[in-house]
Amino acid sequence: MRPVVRRLLRPSQLQNAPPTFLLPSLLNTSQQSSPFSSTSSNPYPRDMNRERGVSTQRRTGLRQPVSISKTPLPKPVLDPKKRSKVEVDPDHGLWQFFHSKEKPMNTPEEDHAHGRAWTVEELRQKSWEDLHSLWWVCCKERNRISTESYERQRLDAGYGDAEARGRDAQVRVTMRGIKQTLTERYYSWQDAQQIAKTDTEVDLSGEGPAYTPMDYVEEGDVLEEETQLGTEVPLSSEAKPEAKAV
Amino acid sequence: MKPTQALAKRVTRLALNTKSTNKGYYKGTGTGSTGWHTKHGGYIIDWEKVRTYVVPEGLSNCKLSPFVTKKIRPQKGRFEGDPKGAFSGERYLEKWKQENGED
Repeated sequence: MRPVVRRLLRPSQLQNAPPTFLLPSLLNTSQQSSPFSSTSSNPYPRDMNRERGVSTQRRTGLRQPVSISKTPLPKPVLDPKKRSKVEVDPDHGLWQFFHSKEKPMNTPEEDHAHGRAWTVEELRQKSWEDLHSLWWVCCKERNRISTESYERQRLDAGYGDAEARGRDAQVRVTMRGIKQTLTERYYSWQDAQQIAKTDTEVDLSGEGPAYTPMDYVEEGDVLEEETQLGTEVPLSSEAKPEAKAV
Repeated sequence: MKPTQALAKRVTRLALNTKSTNKGYYKGTGTGSTGWHTKHGGYIIDWEKVRTYVVPEGLSNCKLSPFVTKKIRPQKGRFEGDPKGAFSGERYLEKWKQENGED
């Protein structure tokens, strides 16, 4: 009860009581708090822009509540030490873009510790499948070197770019050699086709054997020589790739 | 020998890119053509021209490395004065006869 009302209801003050028609207003002693302005916050301000005053940069929040306003949103963990560890598959294919899983890149010493490029003479011994695989191995190595160079720049790691470029240069020389070998094989094959047309020993029409050695036809007791040659030739052709294998 | 200094800025303007000048100026980006344009403004892809990458089957088991040990001295091929050298068809045919002729 308001103090004013209490004072008035005292017996001494009852003679100076206010008129009875004012009693309801005195009895209703609820606290009234009215805003300064009687208008509520309008979703459509004067320029009809519903986004007026809403900013993500200044984190003002929305003017009107939405369905997720009551749902507590997850907060980002700012301290990197308190974050939970991300599970990484150890056999993920992207690991092949790096030389090692433990560190982001090779040290300059590790990058410098490479051999020399393949010579064309060594590559001439190799089969198509070997050259194809070697080309892809070279491509993957170049990707690795390029990724680590980018990382080195991004992390501002320091030295190592010169060694990486030297390594990359050697890989590119190997790739150049592979292309050279394949070109040589193709051109010499084309040339051989032309020569075979005029060669009496060779018949590429498809009827009968492609190669009929002249010696066999002319001399009767050349069979021994042929068998000797037959055993010699496969050995020599096998020995060559083994001797030059890496 | 250097070009005239006064022309430098004017000459740099001539280094056009794909977005410059009016229609009719075409400059590729080095990716190569994969078909042809239709007269209605469309493009038809010629699948023969589209590049495909064939992964070698034995790649995961490949023991070859891009490098060779420096202990092996690099050696050049010997062609005994043959002017065609590695490109000679006679040599190819000889080798074929020895290794592959008799099936």
